[in-house]
Amino acid sequence: MGTLTVLKDPRRQGPLDSYDPKPYFCELLGTKAQPSKALVGIWQRLQTLEVETLLRRAHEAESELLNLGVTFTVYSDRNAIDRILPFDIIPRVMTAAEWAVVERGVCQRVQALNMFLWDVYHERKILKDGIVPAALVLDNANYRPEMIGFNPPGRVYIHINGTDLVRDGNGVFHVLEDNGRSPSGVSYVVENRHMMQRAFPDLMQGLRIKPVSDYGERLLSKLTEVAPEGVANPSVVLLSPGVYNSAYFEHIFLAREMGVPLVEGRDLTVEDDRVYMRTVSGLQPVDVIYRRINDDFLDPEAFNPQSTLGVAGLMRAARAGRVTLANAIGTGVADDKAVYAYVPRIIRYYLGEDAILPNVTTHICGEPEGLAYTLANLDKLVVKPVGESGGYGIVVGPKASRAELEKCRVELEANPANFISQPMVDLSVCPTLTTGGVLPRHVDLRPYAVTGKTTWVLPGGLTRVALKEGSIIVNSSQGGGTKDTWVLEDEPSHPEAAQ
Amino acid sequence: MTVLARNAEQLFWLARYIERAASLARIIETHSSYGRASADDQSWGWLVTLYSNAERFSKDYAETTFKNVIRFYVGDAENFGSILFSVRAARENARALRAVIPIEMWIQLNSFHQRLASLSDADFDLVSLSRTCGIIRDGCYAQIGVADSTLYRDEGERFFRLGLMIERADQTSRLLDVKFAQIANSAANGVGDSGHIADTTFWSLILRSAAAYQAFRRNEPRGADPSRVARFLLVNDSQPRSVTYCVHEIQRVLQELRAGYNLRQTHRALEQVEILHEGLQSAAHDPDLVARLHAVNDWLQQRLIELTSELGSTFFNLDPAPPPAPTVPPPPTAPQPASQSQSQGSQSQTQSSAKSTDAP
Repeated sequence: MGTLTVLKDPRRQGPLDSYDPKPYFCELLGTKAQPSKALVGIWQRLQTLEVETLLRRAHEAESELLNLGVTFTVYSDRNAIDRILPFDIIPRVMTAAEWAVVERGVCQRVQALNMFLWDVYHERKILKDGIVPAALVLDNANYRPEMIGFNPPGRVYIHINGTDLVRDGNGVFHVLEDNGRSPSGVSYVVENRHMMQRAFPDLMQGLRIKPVSDYGERLLSKLTEVAPEGVANPSVVLLSPGVYNSAYFEHIFLAREMGVPLVEGRDLTVEDDRVYMRTVSGLQPVDVIYRRINDDFLDPEAFNPQSTLGVAGLMRAARAGRVTLANAIGTGVADDKAVYAYVPRIIRYYLGEDAILPNVTTHICGEPEGLAYTLANLDKLVVKPVGESGGYGIVVGPKASRAELEKCRVELEANPANFISQPMVDLSVCPTLTTGGVLPRHVDLRPYAVTGKTTWVLPGGLTRVALKEGSIIVNSSQGGGTKDTWVLEDEPSHPEAAQ
Repeated sequence: MTVLARNAEQLFWLARYIERAASLARIIETHSSYGRASADDQSWGWLVTLYSNAERFSKDYAETTFKNVIRFYVGDAENFGSILFSVRAARENARALRAVIPIEMWIQLNSFHQRLASLSDADFDLVSLSRTCGIIRDGCYAQIGVADSTLYRDEGERFFRLGLMIERADQTSRLLDVKFAQIANSAANGVGDSGHIADTTFWSLILRSAAAYQAFRRNEPRGADPSRVARFLLVNDSQPRSVTYCVHEIQRVLQELRAGYNLRQTHRALEQVEILHEGLQSAAHDPDLVARLHAVNDWLQQRLIELTSELGSTFFNLDPAPPPAPTVPPPPTAPQPASQSQSQGSQSQTQSSAKSTDAP
């Protein structure tokens, strides 16, 4: 804790005086005694503010978010209640060097996953070579036979990707999960930045922070790159399930920032494998659809016939190459928990490189060593079932009862391929404003990668923070909030950094 | 620029709901303050008659007391004809339009709605009512003003304007029917029209409800008699709430859509507007206008309903594909919406005596 002492100003009190990250990696301090100069500067600026000032500005920021409608909506019988995602005003800051690793790592991963998807819907080489068990892919509920042999423009399946990262006690980023279907949350990245610019101009003054507000332009240009061949000025739309979807604000945000129509299934129609939207002046063609509706509900003709949210014939149009769907159908097989464990091998197989961002150590119970290790260390590991029912049935060894562990052991032995296990992950912490002052709270990070002809990663991404003390669950449904994420531009080198 | 048919419809209804809420607030405000002498309990049934809501009203309320009627028309979210319902419906339309309209419109409407939803019973009592109606009126004016100064002038904006003018014409026409409603209501209660509102006072009240009092005084120094007020609000071409002014605006906007955006299908709506103009002309020259006022108003309201339905079938329901039957629960995140872009019927029927053949 030497760093803390060094940073304290004995002449005056500051909100960070009692801040102590304990054994965790701190996003503002690091663990080493040599925090970067830029981060110390931000620390010192924060120290000049009073907790009351911080709380007041936080309160103002939250009511502004409500007025702006940066909200998700909870529907009860007849009332629509708008809630904001709790927003913590102390930013999470990354240096240019830290970010460069994340950026390269995310690009590498997205590239490998797209190659993997092409392969499993075409030659299946990776399966034939025994790198990934064929059954894991072909019997996966998210594998879409409709996509076999289909060639998406630019061989891109995952156009928009979110990679969930956590940082261990040494500050090393690990991938916790890939989100290659319809990752959400990017609107909060941009809105949080705008909010910070209004609420804390003094904290940001003079800092060179990589911009995030061009996300919409970038996204549109990437989507234009993957339009069906031969379309000169592609018409792009965003397809939403509608106002009753809890992520509706994000759909508005994306359509607004791209300047494209926000359509619902009922606004579209398919004639002769061509997609049209209904406008006041009649039907107008649509070339690229950024869809925020799950595969199952996208096209009642091809998938769930009960869906009223989708558009009949969309799959036909996509297969005929008349419209590009982003993300493509069938990407769920690449971001599956079972496949996750193989991603480092997938990267090596297609790119001949080691993964820049390691997975959290994962033991594949379908393999003898993995199973043996898991059974021997059941009380120390987190055991996760794979396949379609992801999220359910997770057993956290250190917190499970003897009976729960025994039950888990029986299930593991009966069907080992259905499980993976991982050690408990220590999430890094970030100074966070609470009513009790500024305290360490656990955070994760979801960078967003957008792929057209090439991949671009939005600098930073969404930092989610577990607002409850000690909690490592950052989901908004369970008391999680968000923070602005600053990626600093490269600083000209200075003497302190040179030593 | 592409304007989705659905968005055009939502802009149309956004404007209508806002204009409707403003009109109701003005009527209630003027009658509860200037008409104070008559604001004793049983005399508020006319408002229910005016908006043809008797059936709906009697479901939840026993008597047409001041308190009940105000509650019904201001803060009763269950009543499709209430101010709260209108503002909420306007906001629901705006929510679906957020990728289209400037954020200023959304912010104003969103905060306005929050304010309205936070009103309590105390804000509806006789003492606070004027202030409450003022908040509502100003909130609606602000929305129309923000739209006027920020909304991009494309086809969508034209449909917003059409909604605004059709609703305004309808509301002015209803306002001219207040007297008729009051007489009808008194007769129904066996009271007989005791004339407790002196005619001059009454017609001044109507002018105030239409925000037209000053303009009328400046134009008609001889004072407010029924015939002059009726003509002022029906045919004066410079009074922004007169029916003729609104119909001119509707015509102008339809012509812009036709000429500027090549929307040829406007021709049927334009023909209907011609008929409205002819009707207003003959009303202007009718020596018995006051006696026939109710019939004229019925005819006007009926025509406006038909115009709305023409716009709906031509522009809002392009290629109406039959909905996939039967509707089943959509995914968990998306409960099936009950569309609020419709008028919800409360005002889409005039009194049963309405006959479209009953032309003036």
